Amino acid sequence: MATTVEKTPQPETRQRYRPERQDGVAHVFMTPWLLGFVLITALPLFASLYLAFTDYDILSPPEFIGFENFTRMVDDDRFWSAISVTLRYVVFSVPLQLGFALLLAVLLDRGLSGLAFYRGGYYLPSLLGTSVAVAVLWRQLFGHDGLVNLALGQFGIEMDSWLQNPDTALSTLIILNVWTFGSPMVIFLAGLRQIPYDLYEAARVDGAGLLRQFFNITIPLLTPIIFFNLILQTIGAFQTFNQAYIISGGTGGPVDSTLFYTLYIYRQAFLSYDMGYASALAWVLMLAIALVTAIHFLLSRYWVFYGDD
Amino acid sequence: MYRTSRRGLIKSTAALTLGAAALNRSVSHSSAQEKTTIRYGWWGGAERQANYTRALEAFEAQNPDIDVEPEPAEYAAFQERMTTQIPAGNVAELFWIASPQVLTYAANDLYRPLDTVPTLDLSDYDAALLDSFRLSGNLNTMPFAIFAPVFRFNETFATEAGLTVPDASSPDWTWDALAQLLIDYSANNPSGRRGTAYNAHADLPFEAWLRQRGEQLWTEEGTAGFTVDSVAAWFDWWENLRRAGAALSLSEQDGPSADWQLIGDTVLANMGNSNHIVDDSRSFPDYTFRQRAMPLMPGAPEGHKYLYTPRIAMYQGIEENKVEAAARLMNYNVNNTEFVRTTGMSLGAPVNPRVRQEMLAFASPAETEMLTFVEAETAATRNPRFEAPPGSNTWRDVMALAIEEIANEQSTVMEAAQRMIDDINAEIERAR
Amino acid sequence: MTDTLVQDTQPAPATTSSTTFEWQRKRPRTLLKHAVLSLFLLVMVYPLIWMVVSSFKPGYLVLTEPGLIPSALTFDNYTEGWTALNRPFTRFFFNSTLISAGSIIGNLFSCSLAAYALARLNFRARKFYFAVTLASVMLPFHVLVIPQYVFFNEVGLVNTFYPLLLPKFLATDAFFIFLMVQFVRTIPRDLDRAAMVDGANFFRIFWDIILPLMRPALVTTTIFTFIWTWNDFFVPLIYLTSTDLYTVPLALNLLVDSESQTGVGRLFAMSLLSLVPILVVFLVAQRYLIRGIATTGLK
Repeated sequence: MATTVEKTPQPETRQRYRPERQDGVAHVFMTPWLLGFVLITALPLFASLYLAFTDYDILSPPEFIGFENFTRMVDDDRFWSAISVTLRYVVFSVPLQLGFALLLAVLLDRGLSGLAFYRGGYYLPSLLGTSVAVAVLWRQLFGHDGLVNLALGQFGIEMDSWLQNPDTALSTLIILNVWTFGSPMVIFLAGLRQIPYDLYEAARVDGAGLLRQFFNITIPLLTPIIFFNLILQTIGAFQTFNQAYIISGGTGGPVDSTLFYTLYIYRQAFLSYDMGYASALAWVLMLAIALVTAIHFLLSRYWVFYGDD
Repeated sequence: MYRTSRRGLIKSTAALTLGAAALNRSVSHSSAQEKTTIRYGWWGGAERQANYTRALEAFEAQNPDIDVEPEPAEYAAFQERMTTQIPAGNVAELFWIASPQVLTYAANDLYRPLDTVPTLDLSDYDAALLDSFRLSGNLNTMPFAIFAPVFRFNETFATEAGLTVPDASSPDWTWDALAQLLIDYSANNPSGRRGTAYNAHADLPFEAWLRQRGEQLWTEEGTAGFTVDSVAAWFDWWENLRRAGAALSLSEQDGPSADWQLIGDTVLANMGNSNHIVDDSRSFPDYTFRQRAMPLMPGAPEGHKYLYTPRIAMYQGIEENKVEAAARLMNYNVNNTEFVRTTGMSLGAPVNPRVRQEMLAFASPAETEMLTFVEAETAATRNPRFEAPPGSNTWRDVMALAIEEIANEQSTVMEAAQRMIDDINAEIERAR
Repeated sequence: MTDTLVQDTQPAPATTSSTTFEWQRKRPRTLLKHAVLSLFLLVMVYPLIWMVVSSFKPGYLVLTEPGLIPSALTFDNYTEGWTALNRPFTRFFFNSTLISAGSIIGNLFSCSLAAYALARLNFRARKFYFAVTLASVMLPFHVLVIPQYVFFNEVGLVNTFYPLLLPKFLATDAFFIFLMVQFVRTIPRDLDRAAMVDGANFFRIFWDIILPLMRPALVTTTIFTFIWTWNDFFVPLIYLTSTDLYTVPLALNLLVDSESQTGVGRLFAMSLLSLVPILVVFLVAQRYLIRGIATTGLK
């Protein structure tokens, strides 16, 4: 325990020293990034910002229309339904997926034979995550005569296809996301490697139990990685597209129950040829995600500990 | 240890970069000498990809000065790619046009006029036929296949059940009689099969339904040409079958568009396009499939029949020195029997009447069934049919939404039909 | 230690000398852990097992036979699937491998440089750059793709691998920059300071201290870059129009829209084969997810 306190950085022990600025050398390190930003990121970013204020059907030149795209959203039922679908998905799938990932990462960290086998096995589903074969696979599981219904049938429960029922279709996508918890699990595994082993040794010498080691060493030192996963998985969940596209065949059905926000953007841009509106929608989403991320960053001061403070 | 691995990393970076550059060069320059490269874009699956590539290679063999660059993609992916290429002005010289885009692209001047291109031989087409290809008076796309709405049934199942499906010319071939036939079949067949898939989402039969009621899918002015009553009646016809146990539920067939491979064994019939028999019958080689023209509605107006044609076009922005070569390829595509033999007829019967005739000699039983059907349909009188206007691209998804709402009892048939029309018109209005 | 969660109610023995005793005491627990992990694993990979079995079924049985025990077995899906596209899948695997390898090198190189600067160096625009990096992950891809395509078309790079590789060498994958920043920040600054006292410049520090210590992040970047590039569909679809340049997902997508029923079996067979490289890379890479700081850093 004593070791933990000593080595775990606490905000109040932060050293306040001001080294000289390293502008020159920093920009050398940032050169590829700066080039990439100027050449590849900035142009589309500003283009899409401009297009958000235009009527642009892709085929003919854009026409400036002010805030019309944004006011249009207010009365757009599908916009609101897409927000509702996306929020429900974020709220359920992110904690579930991260919880699973953390639990499995800790279990598969060390001290057990066959770890590579287990890691590989648990990671397998996320390899398939967005493959086109998933559509067939999911129907075989959750379809009318799918495995789930066959199993329920054994108990005399008759169910229709989970994918075709607007009340359950979203849940199958949440399950799909949780099923592919491999990515955050790998990041957690890597993060666990970053925790100095001698901390545990010291804690054990001090007689700290496993649970205490977990909460006093593992969790605090893993917080930068938990934070990273939380931020990125949240952003990823807000932008969920592939799974919904593959499972619903791009429609967001049944009855718009899996019409995710980005799927709606895609439909506006590539099917309705309304790139102006799609860009406006995209910027609204970006602002929403930025807000959520900013809140995460503000809150992170209270629970994320960095080794470099 | 780190040092070596890092040095290795740098080495492999260099090697890979050079390798990638070399590869790019070899791909883009290997066959470019003195040859005209024509890019040819189409949609479809693995089989079509393989067949078309072979057919295009045969064309290259006969035209050593032309290098064809095939650009296949699956239907949705093909359109996504087109949508990205158009604003960049980097479209394939020859490309297929999905029917919802025909007028959208025309409105944006994507097609090159074809009547002035010397190497496109139009002598097999009479004036009336050529006129039917024109879009607002311009011959700028070439239809290359024909299909029409059909009622297709599994003759093996029908025979097993001792059932005779009336001939299309018979006075008994009406929508009401068909519904009764399907209901009776579902009630009486020993294998527990249903009469039909739930095909309310099938666009061609729906359009046939509308035309028999004296309406159209799209008007010449580019609006939805149908009334709430007709749409509601169409939905009711299918709901009636489903409630009677004669049609599958959306749950059973996995959505508004039934997956044939999933349901082919469980239904007597499936309404759809006349070309589908070619591929669908191959999925179930043990059965014989037959098809009939759409059943008739009493009082259907003369000329209600219609044909549907996928089209190919030449890109407006094509380089002048490539026009001749591109037209030669298009000519080979639409006028050469050998080409159709290699590519197969999964997209429908050839439009060129001579090629259609010649293909009879090489057709499989299913293809013969399709060819004879199309031959008969082309002979019928037909009122004009108008292509889908700009903004109508998503109309089938709007229709699917209405069908799902009805199936899940989230709205009545009338409400769903009304909303469908409103939504379709709103999208078209926005695209103006 | 090992049973952090299972053995959570009892304190661990303060001494580790009585290993035999400990081993005997832990054995049932270890077995239980194996049992639970295996059972859960079985549930998780069941769909995949079904897919594997189905890929050996004749096409017409794939969708109609829900169980695991096939009534007939065949290799046709693999042999026919491999050549279904008029070009053997060898070509697509080669292209995918080339693009993935290039992307990995690009990301490791460019993102680690940027991450080091963002995490360690003190410069004026740092916060702004970091915010921009994060912001670029937030905007949905679909509204960026057309301007990006127009750019690459203008510079004449469409239908080459460059539009896929160049962005990686220019640190546009903000995900990995952020990931590496988070890892660098877990490395104690004392190490940098000590090296600085010894006269090392920033490049030395980056190369000799930070890079080795952030190995888990580099391995993670390798794994994810590989799987994401390997599975990416939309970007290759748009930039690679020539069949010779197609990647595995583009080829798989052509198998989806299959006309005959054998299609699903082939799709499964080829999808499974496409998983093999990413699984192998993962299994190899995860062995390098070894302790960074304790074993190498504080020697």
